[in-house]
Amino acid sequence: MAKEIGAIIKLQVKGGAANPAPPIGPALGAKGVNIMEFCKQFNARTQEKAGKILPVIITVYVDKSFEFIIKQPPVAVQILEATKLKSGSPEPNRKKVASISWEQVREIADVKMSDLNCFTPESAMKMVAGTARSMGVTLTGQAPFNN
Amino acid sequence: MDYIEVSFSVSPKDPATEILIAELGELNYEMFQETESGVLAYVPADLFSLDNLNSIELMNNDLALISFEYKLIQDQNWNSEWEKNFQPIIVDDTCVVRAPFHHLDKEYLFDLIVEPKMSFGTGHHETTFLMLSHILTLNISDMKVLDMGCGTAVLAILAAKKQAKEILAIDIDEWAVENSLENITRNNITNVKVIKGDAQLLDNESDYDLVFANINRNILLKDIAKYHAVMKKNAFLLLSGFFVTDINSLLEASSSLGFDLQNSLEKNNWAMLCLKKQ
Repeated sequence: MAKEIGAIIKLQVKGGAANPAPPIGPALGAKGVNIMEFCKQFNARTQEKAGKILPVIITVYVDKSFEFIIKQPPVAVQILEATKLKSGSPEPNRKKVASISWEQVREIADVKMSDLNCFTPESAMKMVAGTARSMGVTLTGQAPFNN
Repeated sequence: MDYIEVSFSVSPKDPATEILIAELGELNYEMFQETESGVLAYVPADLFSLDNLNSIELMNNDLALISFEYKLIQDQNWNSEWEKNFQPIIVDDTCVVRAPFHHLDKEYLFDLIVEPKMSFGTGHHETTFLMLSHILTLNISDMKVLDMGCGTAVLAILAAKKQAKEILAIDIDEWAVENSLENITRNNITNVKVIKGDAQLLDNESDYDLVFANINRNILLKDIAKYHAVMKKNAFLLLSGFFVTDINSLLEASSSLGFDLQNSLEKNNWAMLCLKKQ
């Protein structure tokens, strides 16, 4: 029989950087979950994406056990990263005028597609392009479809 | 560590909230929880800056109306609910890790009393269990031992109870350092020294016979050369905190330094390696 779910907690945490501070501490601690167990597991599973913001959905069961799934970094996070790569700037504050290519839009859409079951590659790219424009990031090159 | 919680109200919420989170991530904000009206964002108190927040471009454009308020959240033991009634852990029938409130119905050769207070190392996690299990097999009398990322200091305490000569325990987290000191006292041990910091503290160390490091793959890969540098010839290095799938990258790094693999243990996909310095 499936275990009874006590709570579903949605957070966004930097890869490899989970610690028992808020919001992880209070959210899991109040449910009687061993927070240190979650942090160790989350950090070990996200070593490849250390430092990147990752959405995590934690299912806490009534018996205080838990499991969690880790999503791909949000599109806006990936766009920021792409603009920094392009400028080659190690500075944390990106330049005010930034741009990304449609090829980068495709790469970001490909990464995020695994979280977006109902999206076609084209609609995922349009979504990424829309977020980029909202961020003041311009798109360079020819759009691969009527945009 | 104290944290600042910044509560942002974002209208309209999409897509500005996602962009705001990305921008905050660049400003040392570590964790986020979306709310109905925006997002709660968390930053270590010593890294909080109002100027930084106001410099975010998104705060000053017309994509969304954003307001925020913030408050200090003081450090406290968020794990106390679990710690109130956790079960003792028995390792290989000779060692028990238990809280002060547990009463045992039989005696164990090694009785380790730990009150974790939100530090890592109660034996419940596979990696701690594997480390304890392997340490139990070693003769470490009179050895000089180093425990990197000591957490509750449970490994150092076992080493002391197995007659190690002297032990240095290091953790980057202030809570863990305080907790280690409490647990060491609780177990009537006097030959464990605890310091806050990381592998940079090892520059003036040398001649270790045995090193423990239950941390994570990236830190182990980064610091393994520093461990190597403070170890005697034929000394042992016990590594854990990673998955079976990470073993190859650690073996590659360790063999290039001149470590030989002595033993490896696995439990539920977590791994432990015992390496010997040539």
